[in-house]
Amino acid sequence: MPYSELVKNFNKIREYMRDFYVYGFKGREDFDAKSTRTYDDERRRIESWLSDYMHFQNTPDGKSVAITIDSRSGKHNPFYKAWKAKSFTDGDITLHFLLMDILAPTCVSESEDNGVMRGLPLSGILEKVDAYLSASAGARTFDESTIRKKLKEYQEEGIVLSEKEGKTVYYRRTPGFEEIDAQVLHYFSEVAPLGVIGAFCADKQEKEASLFTFKHHYITAAMDSEIMCALFEAMREKCVVTLETFLPKEKRSSSGIFVPLQVRISVQSGRQYLMTYGYDARRIMSVRLDHIVSVKNGAPCPEFEAHRKKLATMEPNIWGVSTQSWSGSRMEHVEFTVRYENNEEFIHQRLVREKRVGTVERIDRNTSRFSADVFDSTELVPWIRTFIGRLVDVQFSNAKLQERFKKDIEKMYSLYGLTDSSESGLRDITGSETPGEGATQNEKGGETP
Amino acid sequence: MIFSELYSAYYNAVARILREAVLHPVTTEEMRKIIADNAFDESALSILPALTEGRWPLLRKDGTTPLHAAPTMPLTKLQKSWLNAISQDPRMQLFLQEPAVPLPYPEEPVLFTKEDYYVFDRYADGDPYEDDAYRAHFATVLKALREKKALQLEVRNRYGHLMQVTTLPSHLEYSEKDDKFRLFGRASHRSDVINMARIDSCELTEVEPWMTARKQTRAQQDKVVFDLLDERKALDRVMLHFAHFERQAEKLDEKNYRVTLLYDRNDETEMVIRLLGFGPLVRVREPEHFVDLMRERLLKQQALDQMPIVNGSEEGPSPAD
Repeated sequence: MPYSELVKNFNKIREYMRDFYVYGFKGREDFDAKSTRTYDDERRRIESWLSDYMHFQNTPDGKSVAITIDSRSGKHNPFYKAWKAKSFTDGDITLHFLLMDILAPTCVSESEDNGVMRGLPLSGILEKVDAYLSASAGARTFDESTIRKKLKEYQEEGIVLSEKEGKTVYYRRTPGFEEIDAQVLHYFSEVAPLGVIGAFCADKQEKEASLFTFKHHYITAAMDSEIMCALFEAMREKCVVTLETFLPKEKRSSSGIFVPLQVRISVQSGRQYLMTYGYDARRIMSVRLDHIVSVKNGAPCPEFEAHRKKLATMEPNIWGVSTQSWSGSRMEHVEFTVRYENNEEFIHQRLVREKRVGTVERIDRNTSRFSADVFDSTELVPWIRTFIGRLVDVQFSNAKLQERFKKDIEKMYSLYGLTDSSESGLRDITGSETPGEGATQNEKGGETP
Repeated sequence: MIFSELYSAYYNAVARILREAVLHPVTTEEMRKIIADNAFDESALSILPALTEGRWPLLRKDGTTPLHAAPTMPLTKLQKSWLNAISQDPRMQLFLQEPAVPLPYPEEPVLFTKEDYYVFDRYADGDPYEDDAYRAHFATVLKALREKKALQLEVRNRYGHLMQVTTLPSHLEYSEKDDKFRLFGRASHRSDVINMARIDSCELTEVEPWMTARKQTRAQQDKVVFDLLDERKALDRVMLHFAHFERQAEKLDEKNYRVTLLYDRNDETEMVIRLLGFGPLVRVREPEHFVDLMRERLLKQQALDQMPIVNGSEEGPSPAD
């Protein structure tokens, strides 16, 4: 097939876009699962959509491709462009504009509907399509079944309605095309789940510049929109799903049956997770959305509400998304104490503002303590490290983690030349850790007036 | 279905071309511009010949169209469901003059509800969207931005003192992590950035010559270079965590990477603690003053490690269940 900017299957380019954006150092040879031709085509497509953000670098291993975006400087998520690159046939686009035009007079609101124009039968539509096409130079024609199929498709999308009178089906355009406040669309298309749908709405309206920019804005979630949408639909229908997931470490796919319960979104790490009951594991667990390849809805799940209730009871003990300890304990305790100066009250405020679960106690004017019981205390480690320089005590009930936390700090001393330890240099570091959360921000919070 | 040609850039570009063609014969140059504004770099190569050579018989040779009206498309079920979902968001109140109707499109379901998703690491002290005064200020700010008017503000600083500030606003910045809006503009105050939640009063005022004459200050961009060891999934974690910055990564060997990223100078403290969060898997290389900031925190910690524990450890951890 000749090259086209458009694609039929979004999953084909999802991985490329993600790798170009998140890593930005990979070259053609790093995409070993695909042919050279595929790589070149996908790279060219992405370049065509996102040329302003593409960077190329020549390295000893070859040419690497990166998508670099300072999301704070833009007003719209550039990855939404990829969702606007679906391929179609010449017939699809021709028929779309003809049908919308032919059915436009049928598009009246209920209050305006005086019964004069109820809709058009298929034969009437066919006649009008022929009339349009006979006036053009081309030899294009559409048969009845093609038009019927397109109308059915549009009914499913909700832009065409049908009603039967006797044996005749009448088609009309769905009433209502009102402009939506453009600023509502600009704002929520960046901050709400499935924001790409808001961008679709804005595209069909008069253009109006956005009044918003965004800080700490993770835009990679856009690539998982279809997965998230399918999961929300499954939750609405309270049904089980078959998830095909990709296991990056093992470089293979896996499939299983789950009950989707909730999407948990991180605004500090850019990740999104599905909280789900897994039939194989027989427990509530998390799956990263960007690792899900496909979602297939199954039968209704009678235990859906019970699983959701169970998740709600677990929430006070989930710091991030982990529901299981690596130590084998059902629950782990973690607490740490920080000390600060008289003019550093904001440190106590940081604990209060940033804690997600657990409690913060004021020990004295200059000392505060955080404590929590959580399923997996490794998830708190990155947050605790952000208080380095103020930690007077850190205690984990997980003894191995306690030891590792201490060792890690010692390695940091060594890395920055504060000890004579032989463990200096990053290459000496070993260990394993679950994916922890990101750290925090400006300690004092908003400094501006 | 999200990935549908109904929402495609090609359909959008063609709709805008046809909208012009309903009014007047559209020229190739006009079409080229519309395509450039609405589609992709190479789209003109496909769309132009398809329209002009009759493959998509929607345009006559003279640049007019057989369509009777400017093309429009009703909202799809998916769009209505999404609009229903965002109508339930407390932040929607910021944009409404009157109380919202329960659902704008009751014939369609709500695409997602607050039970379906949860942002688990947003800070707890976000802006008070349900506060009447806050919403009134927000509405005035939006009006000023839309009408390009200036604002006379009373703003409470971090010590609780009221300050008079005049500003010609340029835009609102929202942080998803902080759950706060900040107003940017050319202000009479030393800072051009104002936290929305700190505004005590807010009125429209006329634009004064100094506002347009003055350049809006922009935080200077600084650079930090750090090495990263890909243990404990650090590569994935770090690269995704810092994905929203302009940055460059270089592979040094199988496990070691060097990352350069640009950040606003005002956010230096934030960068220090974010990098500290990655522990020994990240080592800042340059600039030297940034390395010193990391070292300073570690030195303070080292000093605390030498001290006897005065609080917190007496009870020890509670036994695991």
